[in-house]
Amino acid sequence: MRCHRCHAPANVEIRRSRIAFCARCYPDWFRAQVQERIDHDRMFRRDQRVLVAVSGGKDSLALWHTLMRLGYRADGLYVRLGIGEYSRRSQAKAEGFANRHGLLLHQVDLEADHGFVVPDLVEARSGKPCAACGTVKRYHFNKVAAELGYDVVATGHNLDDEAATLFGNLVHWNGEYLARQLPVLESTHPGFVRKVKPLYRLSERETAAYALVERIDYILEECPMAKGAKSLAYKDMLNCLEEQQPGAKYRFLVGFLKQGRSVLPAAAPEAADVRRCSRCGQPTTAELCAYCRMADRGRRKHETKDRKYGRTPVGP
Amino acid sequence: MRVVILPEREVREVPAGTVADLLRRLGLHLDAHLVVRGEDILTSDVRLAEEDEVEVYPVISGGA
Ligand code: SF4
Ligand SMILES: [Zn+2]
Ligand SMILES: [Zn+2]
Repeated sequence: MRCHRCHAPANVEIRRSRIAFCARCYPDWFRAQVQERIDHDRMFRRDQRVLVAVSGGKDSLALWHTLMRLGYRADGLYVRLGIGEYSRRSQAKAEGFANRHGLLLHQVDLEADHGFVVPDLVEARSGKPCAACGTVKRYHFNKVAAELGYDVVATGHNLDDEAATLFGNLVHWNGEYLARQLPVLESTHPGFVRKVKPLYRLSERETAAYALVERIDYILEECPMAKGAKSLAYKDMLNCLEEQQPGAKYRFLVGFLKQGRSVLPAAAPEAADVRRCSRCGQPTTAELCAYCRMADRGRRKHETKDRKYGRTPVGP
Repeated sequence: MRVVILPEREVREVPAGTVADLLRRLGLHLDAHLVVRGEDILTSDVRLAEEDEVEVYPVISGGA
């Protein structure tokens, strides 16, 4: 295979478009794709401040790198989730990247600042903390962005992530989630910052190739909690289909966004009685927001463990 | 030929063929892996020799 642009031997093929690029031309193609999405979907402008949700994995670091190279004002936020060695290693990758490129990385430390860690939030039913972990991350990305005056939060969700989520929501007919699956989530309240996914049309393989070609040092290992996650089963099925029908994932997701969404009932309007959480000030419809209630559970669990293992509990 | 599968660096010996053959023999999806020789990512049509050594990078991450 030859490079679509310069005809040198190719390195990265884009099977769904039947083209390929050499390692020198590929990053430009990748960045141009991201730029086109940012502009076309009106994600943010050059004079706006972007907060990138950074995990230390390939997607978030590839996104941060791309925004930097495209000339955007993008800082990062890393949340220390307290998932043992995995968290320590991913934090080192996030910090290493920020240092290497002279970028600003904010951090939230769940254990030191909030008195619990993600493994304290394991659900009895699923045996996993992933749903709660998602809430924790979304909460802190939004809160830090709102408090520090960022215009938008950008996450590294790629085509495979979004197609897998769509597949899962269809399998379980989660109408409400389907209605909210969008590459741009507008703010519905002054306390909610806009959310965007600039990589949503680029596959996981394309993102990983960008990270390798640009020599981005990311964490290759998975979070130990991901084992057996439903999203992995969905991705595997979609990649089976992709093998037979290159472009199936892309058509599935983009077709849904363009056509499928229009047949869905509109997303339920934000409840009219949104107010501020009495403890943390984030928007909620209850006295205490969902995060603060969850954090209470997490702290109780954490303190029990501390007593059991003879550690000194960390205050809230 | 020798194949090293990341992140555990598991080593496998497989008969040489194209990159697509290699992934098929290992039972791995094309769209879920990158095959790298030295510094270079390889397209699926590249023919490998017995003396080649390649690394296979998984690209799928889960959770959330
Ligand atoms: S796999 Fe689950 S616990 Fe681990 S980082 Fe992802 S959402 Fe959190
Ligand atoms: Zn080229
Ligand atoms: Zn709260």
